[in-house]
Amino acid sequence: MHGKTTTLNILGGMDTATSGEVIVDSKEVTRLKNKELIKYRREDIGFVFQFYNLVQNLTAKENVELATQICKDSLNPEEVIKKVGLEDRMNNFPSQLSGGEQQRVAIARAIAKNPKLLLCDEPIGALDYKTGKQILKLLQDTARKEKMTVLIITHNTALAPMADKVIHFKNGTASAIEVNENPMPVEQIEW
Amino acid sequence: MKKALFKDSVKEIRNTYKRFISILLMAFLGVGFFAGMRATSPDMVDTIDQYYKENQVYDIQILSTLGLTEEDIEAISKIDNIETIVGTYEIDGILDIENKEVVTKIMCIEELNQPILLQGKLPESQDECVVEENFLTTNNKEIGDTIEIEIENTKNDEGEEIEYLNQSKLKIVGTVKSPLYILRDRGTSSLGSGKIDYYIYISKENIKASEIYTSLYIKVENSEKYTTSSEKYEDYIAKVKEDIEDIKEERETERHNKLVDIATTKVEETETEFNTEKQNAQQQIEEAKQEIENGKSEIKKTESELNTNKKESDTQFTNAYNQIQTAKKTIAQNETQLATKEQETNQQFSELEGQKQDLQTQLATVENSLAQLETQYDQMKDSPDIPEEQKQAIATQIQSLEQSKQTIEAGITQINNAIATGKQEIENAKTQIQNAKNELNNQEKQYEAKKKSTYSQLESAKLELEKAKTELETGEKELEQKQKEFEEKIAQAEAKLIEAREEITNIENPTWYVLDRYSNTGYNSFIQDTGSVENIAQVFPIVFFIVAALISLTSMTRMVEEQRTEIGTLKALGYNKLQIASKYIIYASLACILGGILGMSVGFVLIPKIIWMMYQMMYQMTDSIQISFNLTIGGIGLLLICVCIIGATIYAVLKELVQTPATLMRPKAPKMGKRVLLEKISFIWKRLSFSQKVTVRNIFRYKKRFLMTIIGILGCTALIVAGFGIKDSIECIMPNQFEKVFDYDMQIGLKNGLNEEQKQEYITNLQEKTEIQKVLEANVTYNTVINQENEEDVQLIVPKEQNDLDGVINLTDVKTKQKVELQENEICITDKVAELIGVKQGDTITLKDSKDKEIQVKISNVVENYVEHYIYMSKVTYENLYGETYNTNVLFIKNNDLSEEQEESLATEIMNQSEVASISRISTVMSMLDDTMKSLNYVVIILIVSAGLLAFVVLYNLSNVNISERIRELATIKVLGFYDKEVYSYVTRETVILTAIGIAIRINRRIFLKLLYHTELAKLIC
Repeated sequence: MHGKTTTLNILGGMDTATSGEVIVDSKEVTRLKNKELIKYRREDIGFVFQFYNLVQNLTAKENVELATQICKDSLNPEEVIKKVGLEDRMNNFPSQLSGGEQQRVAIARAIAKNPKLLLCDEPIGALDYKTGKQILKLLQDTARKEKMTVLIITHNTALAPMADKVIHFKNGTASAIEVNENPMPVEQIEW
Repeated sequence: MKKALFKDSVKEIRNTYKRFISILLMAFLGVGFFAGMRATSPDMVDTIDQYYKENQVYDIQILSTLGLTEEDIEAISKIDNIETIVGTYEIDGILDIENKEVVTKIMCIEELNQPILLQGKLPESQDECVVEENFLTTNNKEIGDTIEIEIENTKNDEGEEIEYLNQSKLKIVGTVKSPLYILRDRGTSSLGSGKIDYYIYISKENIKASEIYTSLYIKVENSEKYTTSSEKYEDYIAKVKEDIEDIKEERETERHNKLVDIATTKVEETETEFNTEKQNAQQQIEEAKQEIENGKSEIKKTESELNTNKKESDTQFTNAYNQIQTAKKTIAQNETQLATKEQETNQQFSELEGQKQDLQTQLATVENSLAQLETQYDQMKDSPDIPEEQKQAIATQIQSLEQSKQTIEAGITQINNAIATGKQEIENAKTQIQNAKNELNNQEKQYEAKKKSTYSQLESAKLELEKAKTELETGEKELEQKQKEFEEKIAQAEAKLIEAREEITNIENPTWYVLDRYSNTGYNSFIQDTGSVENIAQVFPIVFFIVAALISLTSMTRMVEEQRTEIGTLKALGYNKLQIASKYIIYASLACILGGILGMSVGFVLIPKIIWMMYQMMYQMTDSIQISFNLTIGGIGLLLICVCIIGATIYAVLKELVQTPATLMRPKAPKMGKRVLLEKISFIWKRLSFSQKVTVRNIFRYKKRFLMTIIGILGCTALIVAGFGIKDSIECIMPNQFEKVFDYDMQIGLKNGLNEEQKQEYITNLQEKTEIQKVLEANVTYNTVINQENEEDVQLIVPKEQNDLDGVINLTDVKTKQKVELQENEICITDKVAELIGVKQGDTITLKDSKDKEIQVKISNVVENYVEHYIYMSKVTYENLYGETYNTNVLFIKNNDLSEEQEESLATEIMNQSEVASISRISTVMSMLDDTMKSLNYVVIILIVSAGLLAFVVLYNLSNVNISERIRELATIKVLGFYDKEVYSYVTRETVILTAIGIAIRINRRIFLKLLYHTELAKLIC
């Protein structure tokens, strides 16, 4: 246990902190009540999981719509899907998509909400190398193009150079925080 | 079984106790209801059986139209297997309580049918009685109070009127309940309002008219070995009944003969007596007549005597009168003569007086001359100058004068004498006449007095005679009257004699009714109700079993799915299928057996108790039902539920076990998303909101659950709907039947043997009443309607006038809802019976009457009806088909608007009329049915409550499975920021929709009721 996922959960309003405070965009998340937490999740946070967590019964587009229909400033689902490069698979069910495609749908679902924070928990953990790279590229591009804060959790330190800021966790505490002056493009990273 | 595996099983239960409990609950409900419902009917029978045995209730009852006697008892007791036979008296009487007429059934305390003492003591002496408990409360009476019963006098075999009881003033000494009246309804009576309000028990000693029993009760030997209403019991009793039926005819004839003998002897005696009396009376009259005749002739004699007397007296008196008159005349003549004579005499006297005067004048002259001469002489005498010659001449002259004077004087004296004599004579004659007159007067007086006395005597004699005459006349009149009276009396007596003779010929042949316990309305109704309960018990638990099986199937499937990794691991470790499956089988079996046993112990006790509680609204018996743990029923229930649940478990486990361990150890791929049919219909799909689309997909995603929810909910809904449906039907039965179909207010049964004239007179009387609007004459008989193998009992109503039914009984076609008229040679049949025997308009059915005569007839219309079954036929049809003369026996009466009291008094009035045999009022029928309906309401409540319980378990289980299966999906949408409410609706919307579908396509109420096809309940409702 390193505490990465817990931190992410607290940050995403899915768990509560026992002590300390979390401030997102000058909002004190740790102080939020349950309903405010949900609102916070709904409007400010996008999540991407290791196992995609798509609703099996909904098509790719519908999975995105699942998110957009509850958001105020959501993006157009179809455009978002196009952005993640799935315009041809828009009407496919998750089970008809490959892992990478599913993760793209998951990312599309997360960013379609136009969140302040995009939290990704081992987004490439279940993907092969090549697909993983594509996903990471998508995330980096999103952060760059959409000016969105993207948080990626990974146990793979090889990925660290691509981040603007790296926080290391050890035994449940943040052991080090370092800022990359020159983050590497994903294409150049090997693991 | 490996130890570790067993441990695992036990731990599994602990970990998934909710699931375990839900399966256990299903088993509990399934077995509980099954066992409880199934056991209720036998428990009810056991209860009444026990109750009847405790109170020595009869097996066979015998009634006769002319009562029963000691000889009958003797004859019956010779039959085999008769243990006890009791002749008893049951009669209806009227109690006057605060000017309210209360009809009571009066019974005697006997060895059989013993009433159960609740308070006080049983009546021991003549003037004691015991009553029902609610008699006291309703009428504000207490033990120790006295009531007075009015019972019509009865006739003994000799035809004499005698009082029924020795004592009609009775002291209440206790309260009882009677095993003969377990139903709250006490039946009907020919007295008062026509309905029995209470029963009372008196001591047998109080019966004065003890010669004739009204009823015989028989206890059959060893009948207590069988349970009442069981086939064995009924066969056993039927045998004895048959034996009694065998001597029935003989006894009937004997009774008839006896009555005829008695009556004949009596008539003969009366006749003799009558004849003697007649003779006596006649003789007396004759004598009286003779006497009067005698009187009459005597009066005549007296009268004629009187007349003779009178005549004689009349003659006598006339004679006397005449004599007196003659005498009077003679006297008058004499008087006249006398008067004449007197006159004559007086004339003579006046002549004489004249002469006398003359004489006196002469005398005076003489005297004068004399005096002058004397003076001259004297002068001369003294003077001597005068010659003496001159003196001599003078003296001579004087002398001659003297002489003349003397002669004159003599003449005067003579005349005086003559006058005096004459006067004397007249005086004498007068005196004589006076004397005669006096005498006559006397005689006359005497005559008058005599006349008076004679006539007054005659008068009084006459009066007496008159009196005698009047007396005689009165006597005569009296005699006449007496004779008249006597003649009248004779005529009367003769008429009576004739009547008595006629009566002898009219003495009906008595009919025996050999009845069993079913003749007791309470018992009959109770046994029928146990049948209803049994029928419900057949259908009701099936729903539970189906649902239980489905629920367990989902639950266990889910459980197995959750543990596929573990199964895979075990399989990889080398455990065989049975060993792996055993964990789940143990799990399910434990839930089943525990739940089942719990269910049994609760169901066996609770359900019969609840049902009993409901039936206690209708029946007054023991407070608690005999509860039995019927192991067969329990075993069957348990077995069934085990088959359902364990079967489902094995199915679920085997489905997983066939896969390879490798597949099993990988998490099961989530169910694929699929497009549903609806998406192809784009114009609908487009209109659905996103969440609606999701829901629609989800609904069809889990087919098993989809089906299960629908079936489960369907079952529950069916139960609930059936419950409410029954309630609804019950509630609308009465207005429908008694306002829409039967629009009359009273049905009067006419006495048998009234002739047409009497009937018409009575009907005219009724029609003249202001309370009555319409009277419909009809013939009503009980028939059986047959179509192939189906038979149903119906009432056949044949109105006297072809289409007079309108406004009294409204015939409406079921399909067209049009008014229907009776067609010639066709009939109208009511809808429910048509459905029961499976016929429709235009079909031909067979009608069988009470004499087993069968006719075929075509149905012209099927008409609406709600309670009981009827067939309507026109008079012409009746006569054509049966070839019998038509005879009315029932009057349907429609009243004007009457208050309840007015109707009550009208009914009482009609009941007291001699033409009326029975009267039934729609209002009483309605209130009686109302009571039945009320008790049914409770069945409905049970139905609804248990259906609700079932629905809860089904939905709870389904939601549980639904959530646990889709927990990841729910987590996702929660992470996405769905509010709690949205999450709930996301997951429950499907269930709600499925439930709605289940409700929507619920089994049609009629289909459900068809399952109860032949139950009493269904008959009532269908």
